[in-house]
Amino acid sequence: MLSTETIYFVLFTTGLTVGFGHCIGMCGPIVVSLSLSLKGRSVVVPHLLYNGGRITTYGLLGGVMGASGSFTRVVASIASLQKGVMILTGILIVVMGLAMAGWIPLGVIFGDYYNPQGVLSRGFLKLSEARSTGTYYPLGMLLGLLPCGPVYTALLAAARAGMETESTLEGLLIGVGLMLSFGLGTVVALLLIAKLADLGWLKRRDVIYKISSVLMVIVGVYFVIRAVRY
Amino acid sequence: MKSKVQTRLFIALLSLIMFAIWATICSGQGKTVKVECDVHAGPCRAHISGTKVSLDIEPKPVKAMHDLTFTVTFAGENPVAAPYIDLGMPGMNMGRNRVILKPAGELVYRGEGVIVRCPSGRRIWKAKVTIPDVGSVEFVFDVIY
Repeated sequence: MLSTETIYFVLFTTGLTVGFGHCIGMCGPIVVSLSLSLKGRSVVVPHLLYNGGRITTYGLLGGVMGASGSFTRVVASIASLQKGVMILTGILIVVMGLAMAGWIPLGVIFGDYYNPQGVLSRGFLKLSEARSTGTYYPLGMLLGLLPCGPVYTALLAAARAGMETESTLEGLLIGVGLMLSFGLGTVVALLLIAKLADLGWLKRRDVIYKISSVLMVIVGVYFVIRAVRY
Repeated sequence: MKSKVQTRLFIALLSLIMFAIWATICSGQGKTVKVECDVHAGPCRAHISGTKVSLDIEPKPVKAMHDLTFTVTFAGENPVAAPYIDLGMPGMNMGRNRVILKPAGELVYRGEGVIVRCPSGRRIWKAKVTIPDVGSVEFVFDVIY
């Protein structure tokens, strides 16, 4: 058996390695979409917040796993929520793609034409256009719920570590710590992708944005299809 | 001054990436045999250096995201340490998912584990059974989502 310190290190390096393989493939489209939607503004702070939100969710899930010591029971109870988040993510990417190219008037579609102060309208606008940097944190928290193989594996490790503890609190703390270690490992790859997708240095961006919009719509539809089949 | 800091950061990042690649490559051990089998029908069988090894997973059919019992049986002498199983996907790093096996009879080892679900829809999984000082065998099979 590995010591607790070793498991922290193993999970951090696991996050690092899957970050450059699995995460780029699975979460890359989301990260690229978020970078593109910033339209040349700095990507660092928004993406740090996005990753912070994502890791917070991992930590919370890890805490639940560690405290309960049961992976399958917890995962079964959040399966429907994860499917919903996956569908919402797909829709969000499609909307961001269409809005980025200016192909849809978001204000009219989401009710601002009639109720510009509407909570739902304002909330969705903030999420979809990401005008406010602060929205990246809750967005990250939400997207942290996306079903993902390596995240499941890390949660499994958190549940196993929790089973071996003597109290629920100890299990909770170990679960949180392990998932934070894993999450931190994944940040490096996703930040690099975010920076690569930052087109702020381009002088003529209009055509790139139009092409990216089409790609984002395709990726968003693919996400929804995958979620329905999940 | 600024470029020096950037260079150092770049070197640190590169070292980190190199370490991650090294850690992934070095996670394997010794000679590995690959065997494709129908784990839903019964135990999977193979030979490692002349030693008969079988892997059985219960309950059947084998489903992802369910608690599973893994049983490894082999012929020969008692190993220097208990065998273990590493679960993963061929060609995709899914993170370390090791099933620790404990003695459950004469040359029979058993442990609990979970095969996680990949949202990509891929169903092919592998179980790499390692018997310390003997070698490893990879059983490749499909799971039900």
